[in-house]
Amino acid sequence: MPIELLVQALLNGFALALVYVLVALGLTLIFSILGIINFAHGEFYMLGGYATYFGVAVFGLHYVPTLLLAIGAVGLAGVVAERLIFRHLRGKTLNAFIVSLGLLWVLQSGAQLTFGVLDKPVPSAFSGIIRAGRVIISVERFVVVLAAVGLIAVLYGFLQWSRVGRAMRAVAQDPDGAALQGVNIEFTSMLGFAVGCALAGAAGGLLAPVFAVSPPMGALPVVKAFIIIIVGGMGSLPGAVLGGLLLGTVEGIGSLFFSSAAVNVLGFLMVIAVLLVRPRGLFGAA
Amino acid sequence: MLEVTDLRVRYGNVVAVAGVSLSVADGEIVAVIGPNGAGKTSTLRAISGLVRPSAGRISFNGTDITGWKAHRIVAMGLSHAPEGRRLFPQMTVLENLKMGAYLRGNGAALERTLQEVVARFPRLAERRRQRAGTLSGGEQQMLAIGRALMAEPRMLILDEPSFGLAPMVVTEIGRVIQAINRARKVAVLLVEQNARMALSISARTYVMETGTIVLEGPSASLRESPHVKAAYLGG
Repeated sequence: MPIELLVQALLNGFALALVYVLVALGLTLIFSILGIINFAHGEFYMLGGYATYFGVAVFGLHYVPTLLLAIGAVGLAGVVAERLIFRHLRGKTLNAFIVSLGLLWVLQSGAQLTFGVLDKPVPSAFSGIIRAGRVIISVERFVVVLAAVGLIAVLYGFLQWSRVGRAMRAVAQDPDGAALQGVNIEFTSMLGFAVGCALAGAAGGLLAPVFAVSPPMGALPVVKAFIIIIVGGMGSLPGAVLGGLLLGTVEGIGSLFFSSAAVNVLGFLMVIAVLLVRPRGLFGAA
Repeated sequence: MLEVTDLRVRYGNVVAVAGVSLSVADGEIVAVIGPNGAGKTSTLRAISGLVRPSAGRISFNGTDITGWKAHRIVAMGLSHAPEGRRLFPQMTVLENLKMGAYLRGNGAALERTLQEVVARFPRLAERRRQRAGTLSGGEQQMLAIGRALMAEPRMLILDEPSFGLAPMVVTEIGRVIQAINRARKVAVLLVEQNARMALSISARTYVMETGTIVLEGPSASLRESPHVKAAYLGG
């Protein structure tokens, strides 16, 4: 096999997987801070997509400021969801499972009623391609990759070095211990939930020009995010990044041999393989 | 400094604390001893706001703090090194210490406190980049006390600091508690199952059994009490 073909396949795989890592990071952040799995997480991705659609296609704003506004707007939507719903479900995994499934349907049906069922294309702000030998990547995909890597780096820096980020990690590791250091658990959880949603919104905004937006658009990325988290280990940020890179590799190389429908199965085969060897995922805690 | 009046704590139908009154004066070391399940830890958790008392009154420095959330009580100057230490195991020693100063921002005063704390616990300085979960039991306890000191508290609550430690380390922890109390004029409320250590470093002691205080007085005289001798000092 020519090496260029392999590089091209990996590049294609990574470009999308890195965006799904953003979705996964939000999901796993919320899980570690609130102890719940938000099945409506993909709907925040969808909201990010629609916010971008409205900014660019309806109001004619430039893509970059629109994306930033969309991230902020979805973060605010996260604040509202946490205040109204998820704060009462802290640590109640089963209740949160049922309620978030309900929220998923409310948001998806709400989007159908409000925005219609048809796909809405979002014009791309970037045109042209970058060529290195026989390997080609569109400028649009390249920007998506840069933005995703940038956001992952910002999130890492925030959690690692900022006072609030450290408090989020403290709440995730020991809520009582954190409260005894003066951390306001409720406020920090709300912030964590908002950051998690904003990451999903960012992913939706980044892929909006690539795929167009539609009410059920959140379903696929959230499935990919679950694959990434299960492979990487629930609650682990480095695990999510590694899980994403593995998924990108498997899907990229898989696309050389299989149809795109079959490629979607590969991710699940990877989950089964990892869980057989390491039930907690690659980076999962005991 | 701390005044607890007729405190009651219940979990569902289980009564853990059935009317406890105790007080700690400025700069005093007060111990609470008693068997497992006597309600000692529940009393402390109510004082520092981790559980809501079902009845009673807690006042700190003249302010009624009954039913306050834990983070507001820390801000008043009451730090609690809890049972089981409750460190952040994935964080480094230094990060754990910084969490202790969470409410103090990032100024020069914080750096000074950090220097003081690591001067008191040199082992923590050696291991500052190591994850807290990898420390030995004694080191973890020192980190828990050091983390509580990072808030520059006016009063320190210590829950079973000797738990699971070798006798020599217990003696060292006892000495450190006395040294902190003397150097910083920090009042200490110490809960212990190790009655010998608690009685030897505290000025006054309460004996707690099945949710109530059954005996109280100066530690020196409680050491001679037949009940304390028989039940807690091995005859």
